[in-house]
Amino acid sequence: MRLASLRDVMFGYGDVPCLEEANVEIHSNEFVAVTGPNGAAKTTLLKLALGLLQPWRGTAEISSTNREGGKLVVGYVPQQIASFNSGFPSNVLEFVQSGRYGRGSWLRRMRKNDREAVEKALLLTDTLHLRNRKIGELSGGQKQRICLARALALSPDLYVLDEPTTGMDKESRARFYELMRNEVREKGKTVVMVTHHLSEVEPELDRLITLERKEESGWRCCTTTSCSGHFVPAGSLRC
Amino acid sequence: MLHYDFMQRAFCAGGIIALLASALGVYLLLRRQALMADMLSHVSLAGVAGGAYFHVNPTVTGFLVAIVGAITVEYLRRAYRTYSEVSVAIIMVGGLSLSVILMGLNKTLNVSFSSYLFGSVVAVNRTELLFMLATAIVGALFFYLLRRPLYLISFDEETARTNGLPVSWISLGFSVVTGMIVAAAMPIVGVLLVSSLIVLPASLAIRISPSFAAAVFVSMGIGLVGVFAGLSASYELSTPPGGTIAFVLLVFLVVGVTLKKALKKLGVRARIQTVQEETPATPSRVTRAE
Repeated sequence: MRLASLRDVMFGYGDVPCLEEANVEIHSNEFVAVTGPNGAAKTTLLKLALGLLQPWRGTAEISSTNREGGKLVVGYVPQQIASFNSGFPSNVLEFVQSGRYGRGSWLRRMRKNDREAVEKALLLTDTLHLRNRKIGELSGGQKQRICLARALALSPDLYVLDEPTTGMDKESRARFYELMRNEVREKGKTVVMVTHHLSEVEPELDRLITLERKEESGWRCCTTTSCSGHFVPAGSLRC
Repeated sequence: MLHYDFMQRAFCAGGIIALLASALGVYLLLRRQALMADMLSHVSLAGVAGGAYFHVNPTVTGFLVAIVGAITVEYLRRAYRTYSEVSVAIIMVGGLSLSVILMGLNKTLNVSFSSYLFGSVVAVNRTELLFMLATAIVGALFFYLLRRPLYLISFDEETARTNGLPVSWISLGFSVVTGMIVAAAMPIVGVLLVSSLIVLPASLAIRISPSFAAAVFVSMGIGLVGVFAGLSASYELSTPPGGTIAFVLLVFLVVGVTLKKALKKLGVRARIQTVQEETPATPSRVTRAE
């Protein structure tokens, strides 16, 4: 099932285009990485797919339903979001609990299953011991892990993660990739992740979206590569 | 002091506004809109001046203009997404210039107008008290029912939007409630100091509270104590209530932050001492020390 798509999308900032001819489809139950050099519009691509930005040209769509016909729940972790909000006066438990707010009514009280989901997310990200600490007191890697815990607590159908492993050590990154792989394989979730650690995550991926610079115009377009063990040279503009 | 009818009204109104304004302050600070209260109070002043000029109840016009200003700033904030403070500056300039013009045109301007600038306990009449009660009900319902969406929006609007929240509508509602609270707070602390009631308790609460929920309640507590202490001091010393309340809140902030820093230093020292006592001196360390 197609969860999100970009068709012939063109987008830019000011009057300078940064993304052109973007044709991307994200299907359910796949682990997709987005990669490319700095300034290659990776974050822009995610925001367009999520409907946070409107394309200049072309269409960007995100499904309103999941595979089971229920409401599509999206767990979005923006780039370095925790570092930007280090002064936020929240403790870790409150912050991760806020992930559950996207499930069901905004008005209902937290139930037993909500608390269990939160605790499980904290355990999976190895942040349970930090639950009473304030966000601002944590290190960069710990902040990133609690952001992931919040997304995990939501138990979304689609994870959209923008450089989620920033600040994490190699061991934490390996655990995280395995965790996301399990979410896809065992729970049927979908993961789209911007990463610069391609060699590390490569064995886990189903598909790779590469953003490249078009030398003659300075615009970028995307290519796709299948990732079952090793890469196939990218030639097509369609992902 | 509480034998006087006007002081009873002042304490009642002050209590209501302190609780609301301090809770609002936490959200405003976290949304990086600390100057919004200041801006809306200046806009509201234009409403008061307009009401006085056109012989309409200034409280009502001030209230309405503050809400219109809040809605306008929300739209401008979206237009100037990267530099949201620009929208604040634009509306503030507009509000202030309009008030100065209207005040200049009003030849019958009397001393009661200064009570809107600096606050006055006697300025709180029955109409204003009713406005405050209405604001209190709307504000309390808004903050209680939308506490979870507001938490998410305050942290990050984009994530909140991907969670399916109607961020634009909630932000608009937040701006309207902000306008209402600012307009309701004006008779007590005055236009020039209304932001103190909103920003100062929240600034301290954010620094000292262990959690978000605690920050909201601590801010409300600080605001309430500050307003009651300020009103009492104002009565005893015959000073303007707005300035006195703002000064008391400023003292609270300075003392609170200093105490927190001192306690932190003491805690670090105690921790270092414990670690030193627990770690036995090794021969190599002794050699290095020599």
